[in-house]
Amino acid sequence: MLFRASLGAVGTVAVLLSSTALVQAADVSFLTHWAPDTVAKLEAAAATYTAAHPDTKITVRAVPFGDLLTTLRTSGGGAGGATIAGIYDAWLPDLSKDKLVAPVPDAIAADTKANWPAGVIGAASIGGVLYGIPNEIDVYALNYNKKLFAEAGIAEAPKTWDEFLAAAEKLTDKSKGQQGFGLINSWAAGVLHPFSSLLVSNGGDLVVDGKPTLDSEAAKQTFELYEKLIKSGYSDPAMATADANTTGPFLDSFVSGKTGMIIMANWWESALKAGMGDAFADVATAPIPVGPSGDTARSISYSWMTVVNAKAPADEQAAAWDFLNWLNGPESGPNGASAMGDILMSMGILPSRTSDGVAFADRLSSDPFLKGYTETLANAKPFPVVLGGQEFSESLQKTLEAIQFGQLSAADAQATAQADATEILARNAAK
Amino acid sequence: MGGYWGTQARDEHTSMHSTQHRSAITMLAPATGLIGVFILLPMLLTIWLSFQSWSTQTGFETATFVGIQNFIDIFASNSVGRDFKAALVNTAIYTVLSVAIILPLSVLLGLLVHQKLAPGGVFLRTVLFSTYMVPMIAVALVFSKLYSPTEGPLNQILGWIGIPPQTWLSSPQTALVSIVLLNVWQQVGYFTVLAVAGLTQIPDSLYEAARIDGANPVQRFFAITLPLLGNTLLFSAVICIINAVQVFEPVALITQGGPVNATNVLTFHIRRVGIERAQGGLGSAMAVTLMLALIVAIAALFAFARSREGKTQ
Repeated sequence: MLFRASLGAVGTVAVLLSSTALVQAADVSFLTHWAPDTVAKLEAAAATYTAAHPDTKITVRAVPFGDLLTTLRTSGGGAGGATIAGIYDAWLPDLSKDKLVAPVPDAIAADTKANWPAGVIGAASIGGVLYGIPNEIDVYALNYNKKLFAEAGIAEAPKTWDEFLAAAEKLTDKSKGQQGFGLINSWAAGVLHPFSSLLVSNGGDLVVDGKPTLDSEAAKQTFELYEKLIKSGYSDPAMATADANTTGPFLDSFVSGKTGMIIMANWWESALKAGMGDAFADVATAPIPVGPSGDTARSISYSWMTVVNAKAPADEQAAAWDFLNWLNGPESGPNGASAMGDILMSMGILPSRTSDGVAFADRLSSDPFLKGYTETLANAKPFPVVLGGQEFSESLQKTLEAIQFGQLSAADAQATAQADATEILARNAAK
Repeated sequence: MGGYWGTQARDEHTSMHSTQHRSAITMLAPATGLIGVFILLPMLLTIWLSFQSWSTQTGFETATFVGIQNFIDIFASNSVGRDFKAALVNTAIYTVLSVAIILPLSVLLGLLVHQKLAPGGVFLRTVLFSTYMVPMIAVALVFSKLYSPTEGPLNQILGWIGIPPQTWLSSPQTALVSIVLLNVWQQVGYFTVLAVAGLTQIPDSLYEAARIDGANPVQRFFAITLPLLGNTLLFSAVICIINAVQVFEPVALITQGGPVNATNVLTFHIRRVGIERAQGGLGSAMAVTLMLALIVAIAALFAFARSREGKTQ
């Protein structure tokens, strides 16, 4: 009897232990490119979640932005890679084609589709299948230094390209090492997005229906605008370099008051605040100036989302989706906002969840820096999400940099950009 | 009988030979096995992949044979070919400049720290070698700030002596040379130590004999030092070439291959193509081409050294 009872007890303990082990197996890792202070906020949110879900352990791993895609490609996509990763929407087509990212489970997908704008959901979907929970939306606007504007006698932000060039001329002072408009090089998105913003504000597009449209009149005028900025000396390419952390001379030049204007995304508010201190009050934002072929101020937008590793074990994936659903849901943050929205707002990034827009409405409307962005958002065009997007971006980056350094004329750059883009997109679509 | 003993002796000999053979195989197996698994297998796999169309993110079973198409593509006139050829040229320039600056400088510094006329040789050697021990991440961070066109100390120092600011990493004309200078700064100490090791092997009696014959220091350098440093310099050149061809960190950390791909060297480009774009077949074809170029360069160097040896004998 005693033996039987002992055997039964051992069996019960074994079952309990094994079931505990199964539950505790949910060890979720989160790969991001955020800075340490933002990572600390994410870790705090994860700690709140795990307090209520002790069966799940969440660890956060951060890499520089320049290494994020490589990390995803090398270790992030394997069975031992990160369970969750924050990704840029342009990377999604290639990652889903290689089956590295898991579709969002039906229940969470339905909830997500109901709570995010359709355009953002579209950027996180391939063939109608949702692959990630969107979190941030970034849009480009003109950033300018009010102090330099006042010194140059410029009353307000330029609204057209003519006004933009006139302002750039007044702001340029070579004796002070000061440039009117700051271009960026050595960073694909940093080069492409300002160019694309000017292009769409001139009525053009980068890609339409999967085909590049860089041979348009609007594109021709945009390439010519770049050439004029360089040839007139309003932009100095030597002040334009970026490094793997998306900082470097281009940022240094703006924060130290050597650059009058730059076109940049809302997320760099935190970098400006860190670099400028009290002088951040000199920075103002405005919509992208309208080109001769444009009808209204437009910009480009892109979004980020969190995806789950398709090769992670099923229980890890389930725990990851549950955590992401909570992190992006209205219960996790203050005053009906999501914890993710709160983290994003701390960086000056616009959260894409509709209810976050409402929860942070006061802050968004009262923040003078973000105002220039929120005014632009309604007329923003999404950056094209296509197969081979990274190769396309790097190719156009090189062509735009060649204009910056006088290696290509505007006409040659336009022809090269269109020919290369056509070949790259066709080759990648055919694979 | 003789036939019997002869056959037995042969059998014993064969048996002993076979045992020795088995022992040799047993003893060599771990080393050759490790070399096979960790060196030869990846190399063969890379060569095999260079003839396939394959996404790095999928299993090898998804690779499809495309013959020499990847090699045609990397030398084509489209963006794939242009970028690869530019990266190949950048790597060659970087390598030639690195070797051309580091080797003479290491010999010069080696002579300086090896001489016994003034004290401080060991201290100088330690200082020189210390640059080699600094992690590249720290070197890259420091140099990215030193080279800053507006805020950088280098341009400020040049300004004090009336030299206009230089573009350093911010221009395609100077970016690659700036990365070479960074490499020289970090590596020259190591090669100086090699040069000093070579110098210590030259007998003092040769210098004494030359002095008695009336040879001046320059004549002694070209007649004794340089020829007897030949093997050291050959070894240094091989290591320097291999190190230079494998340059990656400063490009990845500071320039990201820019501006206008001016610092896009092959290792960085292979990562971009093979990993970021997941074009594993193309990336492997590039890696194989780089390996072949390296083999040719090293073989040419040895052939040159042998021909020099032949002439001096």
